Amino acid sequence: MAHVVAALDQPSSYKDSQARGRDRKLQTELLSKSTTLYVGNLSFYTTEEQIYELFSRCTSPEEGGGIKRIIMGLDRNTRTPCGFCFVEYYTHAEALACLRYVGGTKLDERIIRCDLDTGYTEGRQFGRGKSGGQVRDEHRADYDPGRGGWGAQAQRAEIERRREIEERYADAQEGPGAVAGGGEDWEETKGATTEPSRKRERSPDDEGEGRGEARTKLEETHDA
Amino acid sequence: MSYHRRRNNHRGYEDDFRREVDETPEQKLKNTIIKMGEVDPVQEVPRLAKQLREEPALNAPVIAEGFRIAVTEQPFKIPYYAALLRELYDPPADAEESTSSSPTLGRQILEDFWKGFQASLDKLVWREMRLSIQLFAHLTIAEVITTQTMFELLRSFAAVLDEFGVSHGRAKKAALCASEGLMISGSIIKENPSINVIDIMSTIQAYIESTIDAKKLVQPTVALHSDSVTVESADELLDAALSALQILNASDFAQTSDSFPQPYINAPRPITAPFELPSVLVPPEVIELDSLSTDSGEDALVKKEEWPEFYIRIFDNDVSPDPTTPVGYAVRTGLLDLIDIFEVNRKECARLLLEFPKWTLPGTFKPRPGAPPQEPVSGKDWQLESTLIETILSTLFLLPESSHKATYYIALITELCKLSPSTIGPAVGKSIRKLYNLLADGLDVEIALRFVEWFSIHMSNFNFQWVWKEWMPDLELSLQHPRRTFMRRAVDFEIRLSYYDRIIKTLPEPMQNPDLKLVPAQAPGPDYEYDDPANAYHDAAQTVLNLIRGRAKADDVIVHLQGLKNSLETTDSDTNIDSVIRSIAVQSLLHIGSRSFSHFLNAIERYLPLLRNLAGGGISSGGSPNFEARKDILDAVIAFWKYTKHMIVIVCDKLMQYQIVDPTDVVAWTFLHGRQYVSTQDSSSLEAYQWLLLKGALDKANGRVVIARKRVTALRKEEDDNAARAKAKDQAAMEVDAETKPDVPIIESAALTTALKAFATLTREQKSALSRALDGFVDCLVSQTKPNPRAGEVILEKSWHNRVNWDEKEWLTWETWGWYRHFCRLYSPYLRNYAQTLGTVSFAKVGPSGDPAVELFRKIWNDATGQEA
Repeated sequence: MAHVVAALDQPSSYKDSQARGRDRKLQTELLSKSTTLYVGNLSFYTTEEQIYELFSRCTSPEEGGGIKRIIMGLDRNTRTPCGFCFVEYYTHAEALACLRYVGGTKLDERIIRCDLDTGYTEGRQFGRGKSGGQVRDEHRADYDPGRGGWGAQAQRAEIERRREIEERYADAQEGPGAVAGGGEDWEETKGATTEPSRKRERSPDDEGEGRGEARTKLEETHDA
Repeated sequence: MSYHRRRNNHRGYEDDFRREVDETPEQKLKNTIIKMGEVDPVQEVPRLAKQLREEPALNAPVIAEGFRIAVTEQPFKIPYYAALLRELYDPPADAEESTSSSPTLGRQILEDFWKGFQASLDKLVWREMRLSIQLFAHLTIAEVITTQTMFELLRSFAAVLDEFGVSHGRAKKAALCASEGLMISGSIIKENPSINVIDIMSTIQAYIESTIDAKKLVQPTVALHSDSVTVESADELLDAALSALQILNASDFAQTSDSFPQPYINAPRPITAPFELPSVLVPPEVIELDSLSTDSGEDALVKKEEWPEFYIRIFDNDVSPDPTTPVGYAVRTGLLDLIDIFEVNRKECARLLLEFPKWTLPGTFKPRPGAPPQEPVSGKDWQLESTLIETILSTLFLLPESSHKATYYIALITELCKLSPSTIGPAVGKSIRKLYNLLADGLDVEIALRFVEWFSIHMSNFNFQWVWKEWMPDLELSLQHPRRTFMRRAVDFEIRLSYYDRIIKTLPEPMQNPDLKLVPAQAPGPDYEYDDPANAYHDAAQTVLNLIRGRAKADDVIVHLQGLKNSLETTDSDTNIDSVIRSIAVQSLLHIGSRSFSHFLNAIERYLPLLRNLAGGGISSGGSPNFEARKDILDAVIAFWKYTKHMIVIVCDKLMQYQIVDPTDVVAWTFLHGRQYVSTQDSSSLEAYQWLLLKGALDKANGRVVIARKRVTALRKEEDDNAARAKAKDQAAMEVDAETKPDVPIIESAALTTALKAFATLTREQKSALSRALDGFVDCLVSQTKPNPRAGEVILEKSWHNRVNWDEKEWLTWETWGWYRHFCRLYSPYLRNYAQTLGTVSFAKVGPSGDPAVELFRKIWNDATGQEA
């Protein structure tokens, strides 16, 4: 069906412009299987639960899918949300469905944007801008109340709500295992039914084992 | 790179596709065909015909490919492609005698197009087949194709309906091919005295009559007491097609020209001999062979089946066309095709939908505001926007499932609103009101839930502006009346997408009063039971909380809990201390993880050994895994998140993912603890929130089987490939030294053994979850040991007509019936597989036969699992 119109779930062209040569090939391959979305233009006050609510509309649990995890993008210095996140699904099809149905619609009264992402790697939850936030915000000229602008009219309750959300991630850690994996596919040995006493603790940094190296190279794909 | 440039780049991403890079001349030619008619199709047809004829290196297969794409992806242009082919079918007017001996361009294209049709037929690509048949039907009227061979083609499709054991999906698609072809070409076919078009119609009719049981299960409005298969506010797709055909036939297809554009109609009869369509046979469906079966021998391959399609009517026949009439059917099916084909790009889809009138006969729709006025055509003059919204919503509301995800249809309506807010907006508003009214008249519970989903997401995209005031009087209705549950859920869903204070402000002041039970008294949030210093276990819980907060090792927490248990048991002998310990541990973990979804995941992952220990019945006298322990864990979840119900669904999902609890545990617990949601309920019931928990658990169980199956298939393929490679190598080796080697038997790899074992375990789990769900519904509605008198009452006609006086319990029982019905039809492919065992086990627990509730319960089960009553 790509003859008459372009599909909305085609990978965005802008990322191509950043990777070169072999990297680009690798990136295309990663994207063609990717289960992770980069979600941008979020309000700084949008919560993970709001994100979950909207993005769960694209899940296919009956196919073994679902939302694996959400990684909120944080300002490197202040540890406050800075307007982007990663949503990771269990299947590629779910990520594509978001590009078709969710990208360009509103969440928390802002039009959000979705892009396929090569996958979360350690450290990517933090903004890379000079000030600690997202690079794109440093070039923002317009006033944007959802992204740090307070506005004199903000009510006391609203200020309180915002402060609560801002403080939410004060405990955000860095380093391996700082970000939860979200749970893997079913395994015979994991259940409580078998050998409850000898359970191996699943170390959070199991995630991405063996793939980490390939991904690090591609870390720079987003101006997170 | 600057922000501004980046932005441009992003916008460029959509534009990129329109800029055809490195177009080959062939590609260019194809595109010219595909783009035909975007300005004025009538004028463009002769122009394009001329251009194609003048093409220097003419390549009929390339042009035919252009036609194939154009016809199957832009069905609204089909009549014009027929006109173009008609034009090309004759030699050019100025052709010399000598050239006319070779086949004309049109004939070459048609021959090639037919090859493409044959290929779609071989692969059973139904939409391509159906749309190609539409083209053939137009060409029959244009006298390019013979009536006899066209009729034979339609007959081959009708013959599918007579196949033994034909699936509904196959029968439906074949019937649509036959009936749409006949609708378009009937007038000329009927002129052929050797043809009897009634044959096709009676075949369709006979088929429809065989689908009565299935139809009952997917009607959008429910009358549990009624056996009627027609519903007032909806039309079934095949019924509509047949009805349109009957109307056409009664007038010898005089209305065809009033229903389908025929831009070729004034062309003279072609001088070239008409094309004879080769005869075809619709090939049988490919049966996927899969040697995997469950341990008890059931076929484990689940195939989604299709159901009769009831499309809800929202507007009157003078606002949107009646799809049971020829022109109404043509409009409806044209829109359905657009919505389906352009699913890949909802923005383009919205644009094309708004341009749809351009492709219909003049006067079909009212002119757009600002357009030159036109003489209204009597019996037409419909409102485009209402028709569009009605068609999209009725597709969204198909049961048991819409063909694409609900979000697609919701996002499509959003795009329409963005493109034309002043005209689409009112149609959306009217649709909401109409559906809201239907809630009181038996709108199916699943549709009601999708309605809430649409409403909340739509409002989230349009500043949450809704005139709530008009529903104010309905707050007098019973708390569980479908209109009140709709309002309550709408507010709840809106809060989830936004936040409490924002949504409360969108309601009129009187409706904000928490006593009216529309809005919660406070913003949703966690409730850590042991926070209260007055709580008997406050101090104990604090010690656990401090350990977890200090990131103590899981083993240390387990040791601490053990000590706590021992000391509590000495002071408090009446309470189930095991349960208390589990509740403290789980609530404390949830408390630590309550800041956000990822905080929750972090807390859980850090303490998986602790949770597994608890779930396995550790820190208790037994030490063996037991349901009690898991029930306690789930109870702690509900206690902690009781004010934020969707968190319960999220937490349950992850507890299953981490294999702390099994889907069967969640199913059982959902039914057992239903009454915790609605305090007034004395017998078990199931309402929407519980349904979502139940569905989450069943989908998890089913999804795991899907993954396990894929894994086995992949490993088997890998081994087959390896074996083939080894064999090839052996053979190569043998050619060198003639010594024969004995065949080495292929040994199943350890990975495959593990995968097969997992598959066996998971299908068992799947069966057990489904079985437990059926048991749950038995308990709610037809239990022998604790009968629910209301279950028999609410299904009586007299009672239904008196529903204005129903109380909460009656409405809840009615809703439970609705979810039972939905459970049966949604999971029907799985239930069918296990029907024998599941039915035997659960039906042993039902009340006496002859009881109307028991009879209905069985009938729904039998209809869904395809068993004779």
